[in-house]
Amino acid sequence: MHILLIEDDPRVAAFVAKSLREEGHVVDHRPDGQSGLTQANAERYDAIVLDRMLPQLDGLGVLEALRGTGDQTPVLILSALGDTEERVRGLRAGSDDYLAKPFSVAELLARVEALGRRQTGGEMAKCITAGNVTIDLAARVVRVRGTRIEVTDREFRILEYLARNEGRVVTRAMLLEHVWDYNFDPQTNIIDQHVSRLRQKLDRAGAASLIETVRGAGYSIGRSAA
Amino acid sequence: MKLLRSLTFRLALYYAGLFSLSMLLLGALYYAVVIRAPLETVRRGLVVEAERFTELHSRLGPEALAAELERRAAQPADRLAYHVLIDPSGATVTANLPSWPRSPGDEWIRVEADIAQEGDEDEHEALVSDRTFPDGTRLLVGRDIDDLDEIQETVTDTLVWLLPAVVLLSLGGGALMSRAVGRRIEGVAAAARGVIAGDLSERVALRGSGDDFDRLGDTLNLMLDRIEQAMESVRRVSDSVAHELRTPLTRLRASLAELERTGDREAIAEAVQEAERLETIFNAVLRIARIEAAGKLRSTERVDLSALLADAAELYQPEAEDRNQVLAVDVEPDLVVEGDRDLLFQAVANLLDNAVKFSPEGGRVRIFGRRDRTNIVVVIEDTGPGVAAELRDRITERFFRTAEAEEVSGAGLGLALVAAVSRFHDAPIRFTSGDPGLRVEWEFPGEPG
Repeated sequence: MHILLIEDDPRVAAFVAKSLREEGHVVDHRPDGQSGLTQANAERYDAIVLDRMLPQLDGLGVLEALRGTGDQTPVLILSALGDTEERVRGLRAGSDDYLAKPFSVAELLARVEALGRRQTGGEMAKCITAGNVTIDLAARVVRVRGTRIEVTDREFRILEYLARNEGRVVTRAMLLEHVWDYNFDPQTNIIDQHVSRLRQKLDRAGAASLIETVRGAGYSIGRSAA
Repeated sequence: MKLLRSLTFRLALYYAGLFSLSMLLLGALYYAVVIRAPLETVRRGLVVEAERFTELHSRLGPEALAAELERRAAQPADRLAYHVLIDPSGATVTANLPSWPRSPGDEWIRVEADIAQEGDEDEHEALVSDRTFPDGTRLLVGRDIDDLDEIQETVTDTLVWLLPAVVLLSLGGGALMSRAVGRRIEGVAAAARGVIAGDLSERVALRGSGDDFDRLGDTLNLMLDRIEQAMESVRRVSDSVAHELRTPLTRLRASLAELERTGDREAIAEAVQEAERLETIFNAVLRIARIEAAGKLRSTERVDLSALLADAAELYQPEAEDRNQVLAVDVEPDLVVEGDRDLLFQAVANLLDNAVKFSPEGGRVRIFGRRDRTNIVVVIEDTGPGVAAELRDRITERFFRTAEAEEVSGAGLGLALVAAVSRFHDAPIRFTSGDPGLRVEWEFPGEPG
């Protein structure tokens, strides 16, 4: 992916750019809002990683200017302001995702990849197939090698979200946001337990190791194959 | 000048001015009614008399006029009658005025008319009409106005004394008042300066009289109490934060030092773990601080509490099952409150996390939600060790952990956040004995209407 990083802190910028490049992305960096906006207008990017607090023109200003010209490049906002209100403001201003500092590299990479997917997305498929598992979205049924297995509604949604992001890492926070639809901070490894139940059911039906654990990051379907 | 800048003194000056002005007005009114009006009556009477005498003189001659004048002077009257008649040659025909101007001037004059009465010389004042007939005869007729003159003098004298006295008294009183009020204000200012200088225990001294300044001082003292408490709690929190962060920081440093020395990969994992622990504590403290700084709920998002409780219970179901616990949900449908959905979910999750964590293997956690008249009550009960009655007030303090809690994970911030969310929603929460275990009762104001 071709990514524009707009971040004023040199250490955070260097570290983020390095991590993204190691994943094979091409990164352009601008240290302030004004030059960032100019660069965003000058070239086409697959995604923009935008710091919330910037000198001169701040992140929300850049975002509004960008959306004002009809530019729909996916934007991920990085912010030291992590509370719900700030998040809602960011999303309202037209950002596609919001990540509070401090964040882990794995979280950032997973979210940037998800951004790229969102843009090419728009699949209205009735079924998703991953390995020997078929997820029937209309009937909300999971089949392994054609045999239906019983999963709870929540487990179905976890599987659906992982499958839709096939080949990419999905973090626990992303699962919380998209599957549970609450923005909160679980004290314990509560998400892992849900995933582990789903995994057991798939294992028993013969779809062992469909859901991989990505150490220090989250989960993935079909990442090692990709 | 300092005195002139004093509000009280300026007020006293304004009052002195107003008072002097009203006294002058009163004097003028008094003069008009008591002196000026009777004087005018006397003047009009004299005009009539003088006209009559003029006519008498032209008709019957000077002798008849002289006789008439003397008869008039002899008549008893409220006001003594005075006259002077001088013939064209300048000789006085008849007169009962001791003195008069030698040559005729203004038509109206006031003349001193000292008269001897029973041996005493009495000073009198007369209003006199002075006219000269065409043949050169000069006639002066007058009436005694000594009473009016005296009153006028008395009033004038009084005013001359009174006005400066009033002004002086006002100035003196104003200065005294301004000093008295100034002292009280200075008392408040001194307390404020003490606080500014850093002594938060400084208070405004009260007189106990319950007057305006006492009431103001009392209010200020209450405010200072509140600020002192808040500062104390901030100090306690920052102390605790520093203390709680020190341990993971120390471990982090130790792991990094170990890594530097040996390149041991296990030390990396440890360091990352400690950094995560630091982040967790930091985020929790920050989130509580943010909720508290936000004050009270402002947006009016409607939250389906029934669905939220079901979601939270479902989230903890696997954890409870792993511990062979029963997680029972008994919630009425359509319980709707106004609130922040994410915060409420976080709080309920924290409560369930505790309930599952502290209940033993094979224990039970129950969630109730019901409408109680106009309010909505959420109850969460566990079968854990509970919290001793004397500690229940403290479990919502940041970093407070009971002896039992030392054995399980957590930084002691979960319930502090719950308490902050409860205050934010104006929804009181109570911790009681579940017999056994802990019973949490959370009461939400129902929707109006």
